[in-house]
Amino acid sequence: MSAIGGDPLARWRDGDLSEVVAQASIIVCTGAGGVGKTTLAATLALGAAARGRKTVVLTIDPARRLAQSLGLTAMTEEASPVPGVEGLDAMMLDMKRTFDALVDRHAPEPERAERIKSNRFYQQLTSSLAGTQEYMAMEKLYELHERGDYDCIVIDTPPTRSALDFLDAPKRLTDFLEGRFLRLFLGTGMRASKQVGRAVGWGSGIFMRAASRITGAGVLEDLGEFFQSFEGMYEGFKARASEVYRLLASPGSAFVVVASPEPPALREARYFLHRLEQDGMPTAGLVVNRLTPPPPPSLAALTTQQAREAAASLADGDDDDRAVAALLRLHADRAELTVRERRAVAAALQGTTPRRVVEVPRLRPEVHDVEALREVGTHVHGTADADAAAEV
Amino acid sequence: MTLPTMLDHRLLVVTGKGGVGKSTTAAALALAGARTGRRTALVEVEGRQTFPSLFDTPAWDFEEREVRPGLFGVSIDAEDSLQEYLELFYGAKRLSRFVVGSTAVEFATTAAPGIKDVLLIGKVKEMERRRDADGRFTYDLIVLDAPPTGRIVGFLSAPEATVELVNMGPIRQQARSVVDMITDQARTLAVPVTVLEDLPVTETLEGAAALRELGVALGPVVVNRVLPTRLDAAAQARLQDGLTPQAIARRATDAGAPLEAQGAEALLAQAEAEAARVALQVELRERLRADLDAPLLELPEHYAESFGPAEISALAGTIEELVR
Ligand SMILES: Nc1ncnc2c1ncn2[C@@H]1O[C@H](COP(=O)(O)OP(=O)(O)O)[C@@H](O)[C@H]1O
Ligand SMILES: Nc1ncnc2c1ncn2[C@@H]1O[C@H](COP(=O)(O)OP(=O)(O)O)[C@@H](O)[C@H]1O
Ligand SMILES: [Mg+2]
Ligand SMILES: [Mg+2]
Repeated sequence: MSAIGGDPLARWRDGDLSEVVAQASIIVCTGAGGVGKTTLAATLALGAAARGRKTVVLTIDPARRLAQSLGLTAMTEEASPVPGVEGLDAMMLDMKRTFDALVDRHAPEPERAERIKSNRFYQQLTSSLAGTQEYMAMEKLYELHERGDYDCIVIDTPPTRSALDFLDAPKRLTDFLEGRFLRLFLGTGMRASKQVGRAVGWGSGIFMRAASRITGAGVLEDLGEFFQSFEGMYEGFKARASEVYRLLASPGSAFVVVASPEPPALREARYFLHRLEQDGMPTAGLVVNRLTPPPPPSLAALTTQQAREAAASLADGDDDDRAVAALLRLHADRAELTVRERRAVAAALQGTTPRRVVEVPRLRPEVHDVEALREVGTHVHGTADADAAAEV
Repeated sequence: MTLPTMLDHRLLVVTGKGGVGKSTTAAALALAGARTGRRTALVEVEGRQTFPSLFDTPAWDFEEREVRPGLFGVSIDAEDSLQEYLELFYGAKRLSRFVVGSTAVEFATTAAPGIKDVLLIGKVKEMERRRDADGRFTYDLIVLDAPPTGRIVGFLSAPEATVELVNMGPIRQQARSVVDMITDQARTLAVPVTVLEDLPVTETLEGAAALRELGVALGPVVVNRVLPTRLDAAAQARLQDGLTPQAIARRATDAGAPLEAQGAEALLAQAEAEAARVALQVELRERLRADLDAPLLELPEHYAESFGPAEISALAGTIEELVR
């Protein structure tokens, strides 16, 4: 394919992620939605387990059939063994339960915890505040890490709107709970939420009237109560958030950025690579997933131009001619796609330090069982059974 | 609901699982609307700034700007909408400036997440009802790049929830008229976008049911990134039985594409892999057809290193053909 621009990714090829699955105690898969984060998380976990390490994969929104293959039939907070895989457990994140557990842990007494959990606003917060899901994923990770049952924890991340959300999640949540602004209108030491509207100065009075006109009064009362019951717990939250951050930044962790060869996914990956570098997070590499498989050596001598010209001249022939023309056209399209995809990846990598790029071809037709995950694994961490071949 | 009438609605609410091509489709629909003589607005609500690169323009903001003949682009956010709204109803610049500090909106939107949605849809409704000096509607068609499937029901039901919450005053009225717009089957159509993959199709089917439940008319479901069929039936039949790698190699070589039998086998394997992808698409398309009472609007896969104006224009062309 050198006729159309060589191999723009050559300089980034530096082995696979074998070392990572053999050594890292925490692996975080991240990237845009739909690129294959969950698939890669499961694949890396298989790789770690194959090396005799007790491993757990924490997934978020796996496709239905993949979930079944991992033995995740019901939504449970418990890790359960993956059928047919020695040493590998899987679990699915349940946001609400993780948040509840967090409140239980930090609340000074059980009554307080109960009050928070039954608050209408709390119930909304667990599902609607941006970053909550990310934070809960990190929280769960930390909990698993602290328990120390596993040699390797692989974690999938939510389909974040932007890469930033993920690293910022702990800070964002604590900022929110500290609510500079909310304190302002609640006033320090104020107790009865019914007085919220009265107890503040003129300016906020107007604001409160406007706000309750918009939100309805009940909402504000719930909110007032919510913040009061959280009082004193912020410190615990904050401390936890920075522990998680430190854990992620430690050398035992490895971030794997996943992308598909498409511009938006690559932009997201690029942004993430920058961000990880800025924060001093340990980046293990970029996985480019679902690449069009390159032509096999037996077709290396056939140029795209030859294929297209021959296809054009056969297009009006008999059935056999047209069939051959279609084969040639398909080949030319794919060969060009291969080159363009790799060029798009190379362009996105300009000025970043992904450490290494690992390419995973598109497998046929989808990846939803352990066998297919092993096949992905041959590209990612070179695990033995290489007889399983990629889509040609 | 049929394909040809879809652009005759006043508001198209385009939704879909993230990454399937929701914004791409919204842009192509809006461009098709403008090119078929409708004064069209394309509205972005989540501040992602996807459209500037699709139309090759500077960043979009709250001001409606003509980006193509007859096509106006705008990016709306809750803050600007709130400010405009307060000025309109309370006539108070000072108050609105005070309220619309970022923390104030942060407060309002986290206190009741639906508020932000009401403000955004309220702004869309304002555009939909707006008339020029001559009494004609300013816009014939508004295309909204709406939140993704996971949030669309919450987004569209926020006004109804507000009506329930607020029992009087201009806000109730405002919310009421927004609900009227959304559930008016002649004015508003929800247009889900999907690709032919398992997860997006499942989500689309669930989303479509939920939208119906809300009383929102379901428009055509856009099936994006459909792979081309490369073989006519007769040629396909020859590939399946009869055509040997040797025969393929000979014909290709005679036509100027030097090929050995081994290379021909590789070509056949590629075709088989492609056929498997197409087969999966066929299976999922059937699932959509069986479980969905709405026509499908198919848009082809257009691979581009940087997806931009040329691709949007081509997709708009496909839509124009289909709605003709
Ligand atoms: N290399 C691959 N080849 C073919 N299909 C893939 C590959 N990787 C992932 N997929 C498919 O892509 C879809 C999305 O993958 P998933 O891992 O769920 O993405 P994410 O977690 O990033 O949203 C799934 O249907 C999966 O089977
Ligand atoms: N018909 C298509 N053919 C090829 N690629 C497409 C097509 N539609 C969308 N894409 C690709 O998918 C990307 C994401 O599309 P976009 O509309 O931004 O998704 P969404 O708004 O659903 O997140 C585009 O940048 C483009 O690379
Ligand atoms: Mg996932
Ligand atoms: Mg979009």
